[in-house]
Amino acid sequence: MAPSENDIAIVGFAQLPPERRTNLTESDLVLRSTREVIAQVGIDKSEIGFTVSGSCDYLSGQGFSFVQNTDAYGMVPAINESHVEMDGAWAMYEAYVRLLQGDIDIAMAVGVGKNSNSDPSTLFTVEFDPYYLTPLGTDTWSLAALQARALIDSGKATERDFAEVVVRNRANAKSNPFAQVKGDYSVDELLAADYVRNPLRRHDLPPTTDQAAAVILARGKRAYDLCERPAWITGIDHRIEAHLPTVRKDITTSVSTRIAAEAAGVGKGPIDVAEIHAPFSFQELILRESLGLDASTEVNPSGGALAAHSVMTVGLIRVGEAANQIIKNGKNRTLAHTTSGPCLQQNLVCVLEGDQ
Amino acid sequence: MADTVQEFVFNLTFPFTRTLGSTLSTFSSALVQGQIIGVRTGGRVIAPPLEYDPDTAADSGTDWVRVGPKGTVSTWTWVPEPTNLHPLDHAFGFAFITLDGADTPMLHLVDTGSESAMAAGMRVEAKFKAPTDRVGRIDDIIAFVPATDPSPSEGAGEPFVAPEENDITEMDAFCDLQYVDNASPTTIMWAKALMEGRIIGQKCPQCDRTIVGPRGMCSVCAIELDESHIFEVPGRGVVSNFTIVTPTPYPGQTETEPFARCSILLDGADAVIAQQEILDVPVSEIRVGIHVEVVWAPENERSAADIDNRSRGSGGDIIVGWRTTGEPDEPAARYLDRMM
Repeated sequence: MAPSENDIAIVGFAQLPPERRTNLTESDLVLRSTREVIAQVGIDKSEIGFTVSGSCDYLSGQGFSFVQNTDAYGMVPAINESHVEMDGAWAMYEAYVRLLQGDIDIAMAVGVGKNSNSDPSTLFTVEFDPYYLTPLGTDTWSLAALQARALIDSGKATERDFAEVVVRNRANAKSNPFAQVKGDYSVDELLAADYVRNPLRRHDLPPTTDQAAAVILARGKRAYDLCERPAWITGIDHRIEAHLPTVRKDITTSVSTRIAAEAAGVGKGPIDVAEIHAPFSFQELILRESLGLDASTEVNPSGGALAAHSVMTVGLIRVGEAANQIIKNGKNRTLAHTTSGPCLQQNLVCVLEGDQ
Repeated sequence: MADTVQEFVFNLTFPFTRTLGSTLSTFSSALVQGQIIGVRTGGRVIAPPLEYDPDTAADSGTDWVRVGPKGTVSTWTWVPEPTNLHPLDHAFGFAFITLDGADTPMLHLVDTGSESAMAAGMRVEAKFKAPTDRVGRIDDIIAFVPATDPSPSEGAGEPFVAPEENDITEMDAFCDLQYVDNASPTTIMWAKALMEGRIIGQKCPQCDRTIVGPRGMCSVCAIELDESHIFEVPGRGVVSNFTIVTPTPYPGQTETEPFARCSILLDGADAVIAQQEILDVPVSEIRVGIHVEVVWAPENERSAADIDNRSRGSGGDIIVGWRTTGEPDEPAARYLDRMM
């Protein structure tokens, strides 16, 4: 494909090794991931026209941490910079939109999350509806479990199906040098564990991960200066459902994912590889169906979000992994998905294509 | 390194008050009376009520409907070990409960005593706090418990007539989160030097700037700096900027009188250390250009316990503050073009 000046591609991706507990700060992680991706594409940082990060003060427990994190960009002279209190995948989306304005050629998006400082069983309580959910201590595990139970009761899946998702992702993760949880497990062995939140066991829950990742995007022909085979973003869409899961008509499906997938043009051709952000094992089953993927698509060869789950980074890593399938692995058409909010409330779908 | 903290606990706790708006005020004012209500909008009853129809974003209006106190569980889970934020201190269930008279479920606790008693389709009823303990918040309902009589709730689905004025228009809430951070190598380096009565920065090999306190990177060149870049600076410098804080009372505020916090550019440094206190100058006389020197705490009183990753450049309980040296004020040209 001969790119027009409005075509935007991922041309570089770097992620740090995921850690259960790093002794570095978020700023340190941002510095190391951005330096790596800048070196990878072989530019000077002064060539970056726009820099945007995704992170969350509530995770690290530091007010205005995103301001301190900008130290890592080297902002003298001043740079054009932005931040989203969302996963780095949404930072990437902002960078994409910024490039469409046509006045700059290169942008960098970063995701960073030092998740180990906080307790995932309590932290996300402050994310939910403050009137009807937060006063009850409603936690993210319980909300996911309510969705999982509904899925089982609908007859669409069983606990064994959940465990099979885990077994496959952990096995896939063995060949991913950036996986925190990997290995060979049997379904029966997993099903022998106690529930953390019935019907979910520890293996159905995301791991806690400290990590950062960064991508570089380029516009039009400039992409070829930075990358031999750019991963062109041919479709991208973000949809949001009601915040309160109880008012959604059916939590065993993901309407927002289906609409985002349609808008991003997922069905216009075969998808070789899909990197799906399913924080909880069973959500991969819901998302596969809502994305409209069939058996010909390879799902999460990296091990997905069950292999490493740094909130604020995990979605951008899905984008980077899907892009690398084109940049490094010769695939033609891949998909990246990320989610946010209770019970798959928000979903972003991105379709990437290589030159053929 | 025994005298610096490797891990520190940070409790993020604060109270706040939310205004409720007309819809939630109506709900809360009814809840205090032991009545749960929903709102009829778009041909169905949403309970608890929302201000807008989630399908159309239209105003939900004021067609209030009495719902419950009994309802039916659709989906459920079980919390074997409650956290400090859960209202019950023993194992309980969470469930989506469609109250009699409602078309959408509400999320609430189900207190059955055992996981095996939980099931989709089970009939439950609301167990309220004593009237004097209610505040109009969703946890005025302690939990739902198995209904003693599964028959439909009396009066459910009938109109609810709201009072002209709602009794409750605000809701108190409390944030209570705990963080455990670990000291980064840079933080340990800084704290260790302070304990020894030394102030250190890091000199960037690329731009030659000296950054105090150390931040593990040059924030101009965006390169990593480590122990090999340590550069000692004297405990003397110039006030390069300041702000006077007039304290307003809020939870945790201990100051009552206006106080100054100063940025100090130490001799030989290119980055200021911020939020410093000058001990011997009245607030009204604080000015840019004053020469100051560090006042250390006595060695046996020094503690690095408060020096964490979040307080970059802070002297904790090791630096008491700064005092004037008596030298003439420095002209402005001396401290232009410096970094925070």
